[in-house]
Amino acid sequence: MFAYYFQLGLRSLRRNPILTALMVMAIGFGVGASMITYSVFRATSNNPIPQKSGQLYAVQIANWKTDDLDKGEPPSALTYTDAMAFMQAHKAKRQTALYPIAPSVIPADASRLPIEENSYAWYGDAFAMFDIPFLYGGAWTQAQDDAHAAVVVIGRKLNDKLFNGANSVGKTIDLDGHDYRITGVIDEWNPQPLFFDPVNTGGFGDPIGLFIPFTRAVDLQMSTAGNNNCNDTPGPGWSNWIHSECIWIEYWAELPTTADADAYKRWLTGYAAEQQRAGRFKWAPNVRLRNVTDWLDFNKVVPPESKISLLVSLGFLLICLVNTIGLLLAKFMRRAPEIGVRRALGASRREIYVQFLVEAGTVGLTGGVLGLLLTGVGVLGVGWVFDEQIARLATLDASLVLLTLIAAVLATLLAAFYPTWRAAQVQPAWQLKSN
Amino acid sequence: MLKMTHLSKVYRTEVVETYALRDFNIDVKEGEFVAVTGPSGSGKTTFLTIAGLLETFTGGHYHLDGIEVSQLNDNARSKIRNEKIGFIFQAFNLIPDLNVYDNVEVPLRYRGMKAAERKQRIMDALERVGLASRAKHYPAELSGGQQQRVAIARALAGSPRLLLADEPTGNLDTQMARGVMELLEEIHREGATIVMVTHDPELAARAQRNVHIIDGQVVDLSEEPRFHAHNARVADA
Amino acid sequence: MQIKPILAALKRHKAGTVLIALQIALTLAIVCNALIIIRQRTEHLSRPTGMIETDLLTVANRWVGVDEKATPSLGKTDLEALRGMPGVVDATYANSYPLRGGGWSTSVNITPEKKKEMAHTTLYFSDDHALATMGLKLVGGRNFRPDEIDWVDPKAFDTTPVVIVSKALADKLYPDGSALGKVLYHSGATKPSTIIGIVERLQVPWTGTWAGNFAENAILIPRLLTGNFGSYLVRTQPGQLERLTKAAPALLFKTNRMRVIPDERGVRTFAQVREQAYKSDRGMAVLMGVVCAVLLAITAAGIVGLTSFWVGQRRKQIGVRRALGATRHDILSYFLTENLLIGAGGVIVGAVLAIGMNLWLVSHFEMERLSLLYVAAGVVALLLLGQGAVLAPAMKASRVPPVEATRSV
Ligand SMILES: Nc1ncnc2c1ncn2[C@@H]1O[C@H](COP(=O)(O)OP(=O)(O)O)[C@@H](O)[C@H]1O
Ligand SMILES: [Mg+2]
Repeated sequence: MFAYYFQLGLRSLRRNPILTALMVMAIGFGVGASMITYSVFRATSNNPIPQKSGQLYAVQIANWKTDDLDKGEPPSALTYTDAMAFMQAHKAKRQTALYPIAPSVIPADASRLPIEENSYAWYGDAFAMFDIPFLYGGAWTQAQDDAHAAVVVIGRKLNDKLFNGANSVGKTIDLDGHDYRITGVIDEWNPQPLFFDPVNTGGFGDPIGLFIPFTRAVDLQMSTAGNNNCNDTPGPGWSNWIHSECIWIEYWAELPTTADADAYKRWLTGYAAEQQRAGRFKWAPNVRLRNVTDWLDFNKVVPPESKISLLVSLGFLLICLVNTIGLLLAKFMRRAPEIGVRRALGASRREIYVQFLVEAGTVGLTGGVLGLLLTGVGVLGVGWVFDEQIARLATLDASLVLLTLIAAVLATLLAAFYPTWRAAQVQPAWQLKSN
Repeated sequence: MLKMTHLSKVYRTEVVETYALRDFNIDVKEGEFVAVTGPSGSGKTTFLTIAGLLETFTGGHYHLDGIEVSQLNDNARSKIRNEKIGFIFQAFNLIPDLNVYDNVEVPLRYRGMKAAERKQRIMDALERVGLASRAKHYPAELSGGQQQRVAIARALAGSPRLLLADEPTGNLDTQMARGVMELLEEIHREGATIVMVTHDPELAARAQRNVHIIDGQVVDLSEEPRFHAHNARVADA
Repeated sequence: MQIKPILAALKRHKAGTVLIALQIALTLAIVCNALIIIRQRTEHLSRPTGMIETDLLTVANRWVGVDEKATPSLGKTDLEALRGMPGVVDATYANSYPLRGGGWSTSVNITPEKKKEMAHTTLYFSDDHALATMGLKLVGGRNFRPDEIDWVDPKAFDTTPVVIVSKALADKLYPDGSALGKVLYHSGATKPSTIIGIVERLQVPWTGTWAGNFAENAILIPRLLTGNFGSYLVRTQPGQLERLTKAAPALLFKTNRMRVIPDERGVRTFAQVREQAYKSDRGMAVLMGVVCAVLLAITAAGIVGLTSFWVGQRRKQIGVRRALGATRHDILSYFLTENLLIGAGGVIVGAVLAIGMNLWLVSHFEMERLSLLYVAAGVVALLLLGQGAVLAPAMKASRVPPVEATRSV
């Protein structure tokens, strides 16, 4: 029976090719536009570390007066003073302070130019906190953190460049004229968005390929390669700067249970109260713990372009659907006499439903194929509107292909529901009455 | 009132040419009630559509109310249809989207009549066909006979001088058919010229004059013995 | 016109009427808001930076393995080398430049009070070659003298005795136009800076809406920043730009190879800088434009489709109307009026939707308020679109011969 309805559908669609083409195009464009913008939205609103996003917390504390804050929220970064106090207190299962640095790797081969690598200074805990996979070796130890050791973890790409992919653990590399011993080489690790530091990366960017201990970086007076915000002039020199109220450090704590998180928050509030008592803060404690998804939200990692274009294209799809409802209604009701005859000849209402829904489904599927083509072309053109860093994350993968087709068919069936219901209401006697 | 001489009508399709009317001559005087009979496909409807300016013809002459109509443009023809001619179709041809009142109003609207006069005329016409109480009904809610009476009211409302009816009783039972016929006779008595196509010999007999069409031509009835009796009645009148 | 009977007939085709009206309403809502986005995004595309943008090269530079204290001498060597190159008119070193995307922003005032911020501004740290290299037009006062230039650690920077400001900022601080020779206090400093020069125009490094209210407020500081990162700006002689995009970095590496010039966006002509800075704005505007066009086309097609169907469905009654005396023009205007009525219903709902949607967008994104002018334009456009779309089917309807009335079904 399905095959029969399918055939009937095809024949009917061929009878008014223009109307059919119109519907297919409406569905195709609507679904295509929605899927293109969805592919971007999906990429930008991605949870980069789903297994742990609820256990990792970014720590914020208001070290500036309320006037200097944005909507009363504590700033997105910390002072060196606070970050060090938190590290020393060691209240979380794991914790790290971090900031982006810009060292250059000087190849041993003097004929090669220095290599720039996206780099971070942080603590050894970070590797386990962020579930970073190792190819060779592993993280440096807490003892090495404490010793301000000259150790380094490098990424796979840099390892390929410098050591042709061989196990380089124990070897040394030269960063800005200082030697560092490699303790580990990490495997592919490229969370997008770069959740641990959306403040300095904007959320998207190349993978990070080099890490050194935070303590070492500060010893060497490596400035942040990211943002540094001051509400007052810190005075000359490194020491004045790191002891100022300038903020430039991100801080993460791993707190496996909500009880842990609550306890940490209490401790944090206590710390702020202590600062208030000591006279450093002249305001009540204002602290935040935000897990990964809240943190990405707070930092507005999903660009407004992505949300707006997704909204606009969903509106576009809605209009296409309204359009399709109208056209299907026209198409189905034109066949009221045929329906009357079919009903008179014994077709049940259910059978009329199935016949017309199958016809609509055929339109939907064809529209889906067109939508898929448009999505394919559109995804290539995403770089036109969005940053390359974001554009390359928008891809047409199997799940998007499936989603496009399903969305097209479902949307069309939804649109077909009313016209089909109307068709099924046609009485067997209708065509006997005049007009 | 209505005079056709040597009129012909050819339908050209890709395959064939059909002479629906050929060397067709007829003269209907002002105030006459003419019944047109003939076998199916003989050209009766074609004659009425040309007479009512619904269609143009291929050759010959047609004078309506003394005017040669082949010279008229589409707008002038619309105006004549609207003001001088009333139509009653076999299939009623009410507009399903409009209720009885609005249906009767259609020709008056095109005449650009004032609202008050329109209302007067519509109610009068509906009164005459006995459907004043059904003004708010839609065609689908009426029986065949009632629908045809609405169609007659629509034709009457504009007080046409020429009423053309194509098998007005064809879709009705005998009882209803008689009612419609009585209405037409009444209208005729009031001075309208009526040309009615019918298959029903009984109804045809009640007209003043009978015209028989075969193969697109008017046939002299005096040579048709079957209709002698009716002719006698015509003579009586 | 015969509005009442048309309305009466439309009541019998509620679904189709509502669908067309709804489509028009939604289209109006989206098109109006898309237009606002387009306007907002294209508004600044042609905003001049204040620089002469032709024959200008930018080179991002990062020193490798050097102490911050060493950068002044390295920078001087580089600048001397660049200025000595054939085809180079002048060169300078700066922390940032217009449209770069990143830079230094701070508050500015004409009194040393910290609290009140009179204006927000960007700071460009550069030297006495900045005006000539960037091609800025001095409209008052003078350029920096070489003896006023120095190097400073960005983390220890406080203020300088003299500054050059953009005219926009000068007028903001001293609306009576007397800024030259007066003082300003920036970044909450307690020491004044005297305005010794005013340039006609100088844009900030950012193009986003957040920088919209200080887009042309700039202060040139006669200091070069130590630290290992900065940008060289090179003004070339006409026709030399292309050659120098290769030659300039090559020369820099020859002078000192312990540096990194990023592969991506390291060496850019200013034309490339401008294109990249506005890329997403232009892309978004084009995207919205395409969406609008397709949307209008689909809506028009929908109207054509449904009206054609109605005409087909009503052939017989059109014939009857013709038989009853309707002229072709009557039939044509019937369908045009019908569409106008539906369209009117649609645009009324659509205008409300458009404004509601805009209010929502304004509260959630950095969006501008929708001006009623746009709504009015959208309303007219959609009504015209509807009339245009209905024209073909209506013409077809007017050509239905009156004899159609006698045909069975
Ligand atoms: N539109 C048309 N196209 C082609 N042939 C037609 C058309 N209308 C009528 N005819 C032909 O003209 C002839 C007369 O038709 P008609 O006037 O309808 O006959 P009647 O009403 O007497 O039954 C028939 O042979 C019919 O097939
Ligand atoms: Mg006939």
